[in-house]
Amino acid sequence: MYRYDEIDRAILTDRVAEFREQATRRLAGLITEDQFKPIRLMNGLYLQLHAYMLRIAIPYGALTSAKLRKLAYIARTYDKGYGHFTTRTNLQLHWIKLRDAPDILEHLAEVELHSIQTSGNCIRNLTADPHAGATADEVDDPRVWAEAIRQWSTFHPEFSFLPRKFKIAVTAAATDRAAIKVYDIGLRLHRAEDGELGFEVLVGGGLGRTPYLGSTIRKHLPTRHLLSYLQAILRVYNRAGRRDNAWKARIKILVSSLGAEEFARQVEEEWEREPRDGVDLPDEELARIRAAFAPQGFETLPPVSAAFQSAKANDRAFARFARHNVKPHKVPGYAIVDVSLKAPGETPGDCSADQMDVVADLAERFSHDEVRVSYEQNLILPHVKLDDVPQVYAELEAAGLATPNIGLISDIIACPGLDYCALANARAIPIAQDIAKRFADPERAEVVGELKIKISGCINACGHHHVGHIGILGVDKKGEEFYQLTLGGSGAEDAEVGKMLGPALPADKVADAVEQLVEVYMRERAEGERFLDTFRRTGMSPFKEAVYADAR
Amino acid sequence: MTMKALTANRLDDGEAVFWMGGRWVDRFAEAQLWGDQDPDADAAEAHAKSELTQVVDAYLIDVIESEGGYAPLSYRERVRAMGPTNKLEHGKQAEGGASIEALVHAHGAARSTGRVNLIKRK
Repeated sequence: MYRYDEIDRAILTDRVAEFREQATRRLAGLITEDQFKPIRLMNGLYLQLHAYMLRIAIPYGALTSAKLRKLAYIARTYDKGYGHFTTRTNLQLHWIKLRDAPDILEHLAEVELHSIQTSGNCIRNLTADPHAGATADEVDDPRVWAEAIRQWSTFHPEFSFLPRKFKIAVTAAATDRAAIKVYDIGLRLHRAEDGELGFEVLVGGGLGRTPYLGSTIRKHLPTRHLLSYLQAILRVYNRAGRRDNAWKARIKILVSSLGAEEFARQVEEEWEREPRDGVDLPDEELARIRAAFAPQGFETLPPVSAAFQSAKANDRAFARFARHNVKPHKVPGYAIVDVSLKAPGETPGDCSADQMDVVADLAERFSHDEVRVSYEQNLILPHVKLDDVPQVYAELEAAGLATPNIGLISDIIACPGLDYCALANARAIPIAQDIAKRFADPERAEVVGELKIKISGCINACGHHHVGHIGILGVDKKGEEFYQLTLGGSGAEDAEVGKMLGPALPADKVADAVEQLVEVYMRERAEGERFLDTFRRTGMSPFKEAVYADAR
Repeated sequence: MTMKALTANRLDDGEAVFWMGGRWVDRFAEAQLWGDQDPDADAAEAHAKSELTQVVDAYLIDVIESEGGYAPLSYRERVRAMGPTNKLEHGKQAEGGASIEALVHAHGAARSTGRVNLIKRK
């Protein structure tokens, strides 16, 4: 895990002091809200329906036990004892007071956390594969590059007033756990045929009102040129991106209007023109960052653990947990353990301060002090010895964190929606709760298999509805909540934007409709097919017929 | 008959508040109501927008009758006046009582926002 150096620490200390003074002046009426609003947003402080909301950045979703304990402390002391993990792997606190915000930022700085790059038209907090450094599936540790981009992008003067916000995701694995195809820039580390490490560079993905999947503009960028190439992309966007219309200002609109080929040509031209020295990461700095993520403390263990095997054989509930929440690790005898924040009936992504403390404690004792946040709004203990998994399971279970549903129908993504968010048109959380309760029986959920439901309360698509196997979008029809369903989306390596099922449904019909869709899938599915596979094979007709049969 | 109320968020803690004869109150049930065309409503809104230290983002909302009481016309404004529906122990609804019940059971042919003079922000 990367630790701050003196420069990082000084930046943060100055920033907290600056914000404290600004907030004090605002509370005293010395500056207006129009003057203060951009300042508070640059520090992650939004005003929502019931209170201020503080969005805390969790760079590439990586936490230590000290950081998570601090988040628990803040949630308990300054909020109502819980926080909400988001699809951007950030933590949102929904009941914050402006007068407390400077103290909170000071607490965060103590553990090398902050709320910078969580708002505004800058390069936002990075997202990366939450299995980084743990999965055998990767060619390199993507955190090394994510951290390099973090240092380069924070307060980058040239890119602080882009046409619109800008989000970058990095993975180094074939399995896409970071949704890189729906990011402004998606980076996939791979090895060329000659063995050289490089990035496939995708640009122009995004959800929101006009969803696009990213286009590959360079198949292989040698890693040493990452920052100069990013600079070239950002410069083309900064120069040519639209500033006249917020709905058309994201890079996806520029890439789409120019065409990916022409956009790539302009990037290459810009990249060739500018000297790269002084922008690209020097080797010694790369080595310093890489050293921070070097694997350490792994024991030499047999690949099979007797304790793990015997727990699976003797405890059906544990066996189910092992099937869905335990993933292979690159080091023999270790596992990646998913911590579900999706207990049926609870709010997706919510985690109480007590639960944060439990996970922090488990991380310290059993997972090399590391915790990850996934964009699917769950937590991950990345380095658990197989021998220890039964103990970890027991403690998660006692804290309500062992729901064995990762990737299943009750593992639903939902944005905060109209229950909290000032932009929302409809609620998302109660819809997720209704659906999860229908499929609360773990055996039933397991029979249905992988099925990703994603719900957004407005077209901004924080709940990634476009890329849900079943996507649900809340809309406002004359003041009443309605929900548009889409099918066939995916945010993974087989990414696709879902297709509209039919007319929007009232809130109380959504869970029924999901049940009907599942019934069609169960009836139509061929051996080994996921919901998504069946849909791709059969098309929309059987699903549409089932949901709208009564309406005909 | 549609009435109007003036709402905002309090500057120092962000709490949703309502105008009542010269001061801001937490409970919607205590909010001052004006007739649809009452110029005093606009005057109160203009005053709220001009001061710097009490509230943020003041605006008028439409209010309808509900169960013998009153409720904001739009669902969004009812959520602000109650609290989040996923955590009934949080927000103003935790207090309970008849005025909260009137909010819970209000059904209106609501306009999309119930927010008067709305300029839609991005």
